[in-house]
Amino acid sequence: MKALILTAGAGRNLVPFSETRPKAMTVVGGGPLMARTLAHLREVGVTDVTVVLGQAGEKVKAAFEDGQDFGVHITYVEQGPQGGIVDAILGARGRFIPGEYFILVYGDVVTSANPFHQALQSFNSFKAPIACVCLPGPPTVRYGNVYLSGTRITRIVEKPTTAGLGNYVLAGVFILPVEVFSLMEQAEGDMEEVFGRLVRAPGLNASIWEGGWIDIEYPWDILAANRMVMDTWEEASISRHAVIDGNVTLSGPVRIERGSVIKAGAVLAGPCYIGRNCYVGNNVLVRSYSSLGPGSSIGYGVELKNCVLLGNARIGRLSFVGDSVIGENVDIGSGTMTINGNMDRSPVSVDIRGESIDSGLVKVGSFIGDDVRIGAGNTLAAGTLLRPNTTVPHHATVSAR
Amino acid sequence: MCGIAGVVSFHPIADRLYEGVRHLEYRGYDSCGIAFIEDHHHITIRKDIGTVDEVDGKEQIRRLTAQVGIAHTRWATHGKVTRQNAHPHQSCHGEFAVVHNGIIANYKTLRDQLARTGHKFRSETDTETIAHLIEQRHSECGDVERALVSALRELEGSYALAMISSHDPERIFCARHESPLIIGVGNESNYVGSDFNAFIDYTKDTVILDDGEYGVISRDSYSVKSLRTGEVIDKEITVVPWDSELSRKGGYPHYMLKEIHEQPQAVRTALSIPADEIAAVADMMQDARRVYLLGVGTTYYVALLGQYLLAAVADMDVAALSSDEFRHLDKSDAQSVVLAISQSGETYDTLMSLRHAKGRRAKTAAIVNMVGSSIARMVDRVILQGSGPEVCVVSTKAALAQMILLARLALELGSRRGALSAATRRAHEAALAALPEEIETILNEKSGLIRAAAYRHAQVQNWLFLGRGIYYPIALEAALKMKEVTYVHAEGMAGGFLKHGTLSLVDDKMYTLVFVPPASAGELHSMTLSSVEEVKARGGFVFGFTSNGADDMFDECVGFASGHEFTAPFLPLVAAQLLAYFTATALHRNVDKPRSLAKSVTVA
Repeated sequence: MKALILTAGAGRNLVPFSETRPKAMTVVGGGPLMARTLAHLREVGVTDVTVVLGQAGEKVKAAFEDGQDFGVHITYVEQGPQGGIVDAILGARGRFIPGEYFILVYGDVVTSANPFHQALQSFNSFKAPIACVCLPGPPTVRYGNVYLSGTRITRIVEKPTTAGLGNYVLAGVFILPVEVFSLMEQAEGDMEEVFGRLVRAPGLNASIWEGGWIDIEYPWDILAANRMVMDTWEEASISRHAVIDGNVTLSGPVRIERGSVIKAGAVLAGPCYIGRNCYVGNNVLVRSYSSLGPGSSIGYGVELKNCVLLGNARIGRLSFVGDSVIGENVDIGSGTMTINGNMDRSPVSVDIRGESIDSGLVKVGSFIGDDVRIGAGNTLAAGTLLRPNTTVPHHATVSAR
Repeated sequence: MCGIAGVVSFHPIADRLYEGVRHLEYRGYDSCGIAFIEDHHHITIRKDIGTVDEVDGKEQIRRLTAQVGIAHTRWATHGKVTRQNAHPHQSCHGEFAVVHNGIIANYKTLRDQLARTGHKFRSETDTETIAHLIEQRHSECGDVERALVSALRELEGSYALAMISSHDPERIFCARHESPLIIGVGNESNYVGSDFNAFIDYTKDTVILDDGEYGVISRDSYSVKSLRTGEVIDKEITVVPWDSELSRKGGYPHYMLKEIHEQPQAVRTALSIPADEIAAVADMMQDARRVYLLGVGTTYYVALLGQYLLAAVADMDVAALSSDEFRHLDKSDAQSVVLAISQSGETYDTLMSLRHAKGRRAKTAAIVNMVGSSIARMVDRVILQGSGPEVCVVSTKAALAQMILLARLALELGSRRGALSAATRRAHEAALAALPEEIETILNEKSGLIRAAAYRHAQVQNWLFLGRGIYYPIALEAALKMKEVTYVHAEGMAGGFLKHGTLSLVDDKMYTLVFVPPASAGELHSMTLSSVEEVKARGGFVFGFTSNGADDMFDECVGFASGHEFTAPFLPLVAAQLLAYFTATALHRNVDKPRSLAKSVTVA
């Protein structure tokens, strides 16, 4: 079976990170989301993969090339000059053989285990179109609500208005007949419309996913997804090409990649991830669920807690970064503090494209875009969001809005 | 409680034997093994502790090319879970191999006798005794079938067994007494199994053995004979009514969730069972001087719910008793009716209770899911609930369907006894007819809320499940679901009972789930709320399953719109099944095969 991965979604709520990369390049558990999807596909024997690219698609191409390093063969299909998704999908059509079934995956969902095993098992038992569904937890107004009778999907409510429902929703993994491309064309790429039509004829069967599932919509979802993936880690692994000084304390599933240097006095509490060629200075405390992308440099006495560094970050000495996501090539001056909660322990709100969105989380730090430079001695309020290329001078205080 | 499978064929059988015994794992899964005839003249055994998949991993069962073999999956009763004690068991010279389900009561005596004549025993099981006994009799008469018959006549207790012998390498011998065993009649292959799951992928034609019968199966023929007379018995072929696809998981992660989602259909089926089948049981009960409702575990709670329904709807005084305790309380006579409830129709305690009551000349009836099961065949009247295969050890759809059938029975008796007006009956029946859709709405719109609650409260160690009136058996059944699948302590209790002792347990670590009747239930509603106040006053966390939705009284609640008071109690039961299921997945439990449990308990 072949697979089609859709990565063209704009991800407009995933600011500031979606401004410079597609959602599929979001990092969870130390690697881009799409690497995880490809590994899962390869595990079930799917190696012929077509990827639909959208905005900043060249980053996907640069990271995955022809897929050889990931054990698959990737063909890329790009959006047309007008940015229409339909053109892109129809461009992919020729890669699939009429009469066969294929796997359709959304590039922005994260699962706690391989979802394709169960999807294929369901497909083998129904020999009919399959949609994986799951219970994301309320509220489900963000998603189309699915109604089932047995495992037959009877209807999909696209924009649910009733409050307080706990329905199953589409999980972003499907097994569909190639004829669906014509439906996509007719529906002008509106996938919800496509599934609505599929439900009417020839029918859509649900495969219920009971594992963990996160749809990355807002920046704090990255932290939740990272945590979910790291929770599945059973073992520590340390590259033989990492250099670890004496008097370094490691506990739990700690992963350290080649070329990294861990200096004396550092404490690493797993699960945590240190990517290639990182420098972790003396007396650094890396607390659980922290992920350091490649080339990150962490100065003396820094504390990291539940945070994802996308790569090439430099964090100056005696700083604290917690419950935060830090973009690529970010420079944080020494003595910088990310405040990660409100004093009254109320949920933190974040300004997403001019609208204050309640994260529902009590612990939220900062979301810092690529190439941001922050001077020394700064204090960032809980829920701070800095767009790419921002510069913050020394000794400034950044309020959330 | 164990599973037996056997195949004799013109073709290699390893895959079929492996699949067969794997589908029987719900009957027990602490060790497994197979015995097969190799090179047409000697028996080889592969066995170990673990599930069928684990043992296959170690012993490469599926690589075998044999054409005659028997297999077993064990749930230990005699002897520990060790490789030695795993079935099949062999005689001294390895000429006989036996797999067995049941308990041989006089095995110690037989074992001592055999040991004195020089037999060496390798395991602690009662089963090994059978193999040695057959070998002993064979050494005396030189014929395998006669040796088997003679050995079987000496056994006391219960058994279903299958045997192969190197002296008769083309056939499988099998027999039953008080434990289930059936033969599958295929094309160029014949099968034996504890139930049809052992071979349903290959044939739906079955021959059901009765107590005191034994079977001889070869590639192209089979015969069933009487153990007493040795005469061939002409048996009818029963065609299994459902297909194997139904007993597979389909799009579900677990059978438990699948079976919870099959409840609308199970209720529809229960409602479509012809009225005269219900009426026939009502005929018996109407004139009875005494009526007992029997079940054990979940089915006891079903019986208890039946007692409430019959009292409320039919103005009848009946006693619900747990069948493990029945014999101590049994005062039945020729004017009594005993109505038993069993999913498998093989439950040992219920079977024995029915025998006890029959011994006292009581009339018997049963509500059973499994066609051709022992209970279905031994009672005077049976209602087959037709809920389809229930694979998860934890019963959901079968129990709900049984409750619906008891509700129909109560309506029928209520009309006959003048306790129910025609209009009320019509309203109740309309409520039942609307129930499948109401359940579907819960499954669709509430699953996410219940899952979120289950994940939030998965670490709670102690639950109290409270209900009053007919919600009391619902609370008991809901608590049992929670216990068996999550291993978390949950105690079902009547709301009024709480303050007479158990209330002292309530603190902020004890969570309480309350089954709140709709406000239209009047006093039942207000009295339930007073129990809630008692718990809240002690700082307990109260989770409400209500009919009206949110209520400030509760720390948390999920509401279910109920169309009718008569069927309202069934909705929170479905919700409680979901709560147990999601709590179990949050705790990474083995949902379909909880530790220490087996699907149908056919031992004392």
